[in-house]
Amino acid sequence: MADLSIAMRQAGDVAILLPAGFINAHTVREFEAALEGLVRDGQYTILLNCRDLHYISSAGLGAIMGLIETVRDHQGDILLSDLQPNVFTIFDTLGFTQLYRVFGDEDQALAAVAPERKG
Amino acid sequence: MSVAVSMEPAEFRLVIPSQTRYLNLVTGLAKRASLVAGLDDATSAKVSIAVDEAVTNVILHAYHGEGEHSVELELRFTEEALEIHILHSGQGLRGDQIVLPDPKEYIKHPRKGGLGLLLMSRFMDEVRFKADEASGRNECCLIKKLD
Repeated sequence: MADLSIAMRQAGDVAILLPAGFINAHTVREFEAALEGLVRDGQYTILLNCRDLHYISSAGLGAIMGLIETVRDHQGDILLSDLQPNVFTIFDTLGFTQLYRVFGDEDQALAAVAPERKG
Repeated sequence: MSVAVSMEPAEFRLVIPSQTRYLNLVTGLAKRASLVAGLDDATSAKVSIAVDEAVTNVILHAYHGEGEHSVELELRFTEEALEIHILHSGQGLRGDQIVLPDPKEYIKHPRKGGLGLLLMSRFMDEVRFKADEASGRNECCLIKKLD
């Protein structure tokens, strides 16, 4: 099995990224390229559905941090959903749960941004 | 047939090339070793993250991403703790050179990088850096107590 695979789909104007496996210093370029590709295409609201993400190191957190200001400058955001306990602990330990909106599942995340996108 | 289990401290070593492709192998080993030492699943996951960060630092910073060097991991199982020593011959880091970012400041001013050491210090009970100028060997020691 590859260390990381990334699926993508679209829900309205929200781009949903589904990283599966491990994001570390070895795989982070692939993850970063996927995020950067979305932003380059004008997709500024990105939902990271982490249901199959087993692990993320600081390299992966850095990739998200590197784009958060850009997407917010364009009235978008990076949202997180379906975090496994280990992954949640990493975000929470660093205080990132205050910086990012974290949802229990994808539907909750999409429901939260729907009014914002309409408005 | 019963097998006598020695309670003496045990240790073993693994040497990997300084390449990030082996990170997953190393973190998997760290997690399994933590479980063998008696740590629970959540704590074992934290140890594996700390080891990922420490080995990544060696590969990317001590060896500047050069893949032809070696990173040595020594795992020591004692009654009190699991110790993971990460040894290398790259650029060393002393404890007094470490400045941990303040998470609150980090959130106010997001930027790439700087979080690995913070994760290591949060997830382990002790993180020590040693530089041996005579031998040119450097070490990062991660300790997780078993209580």
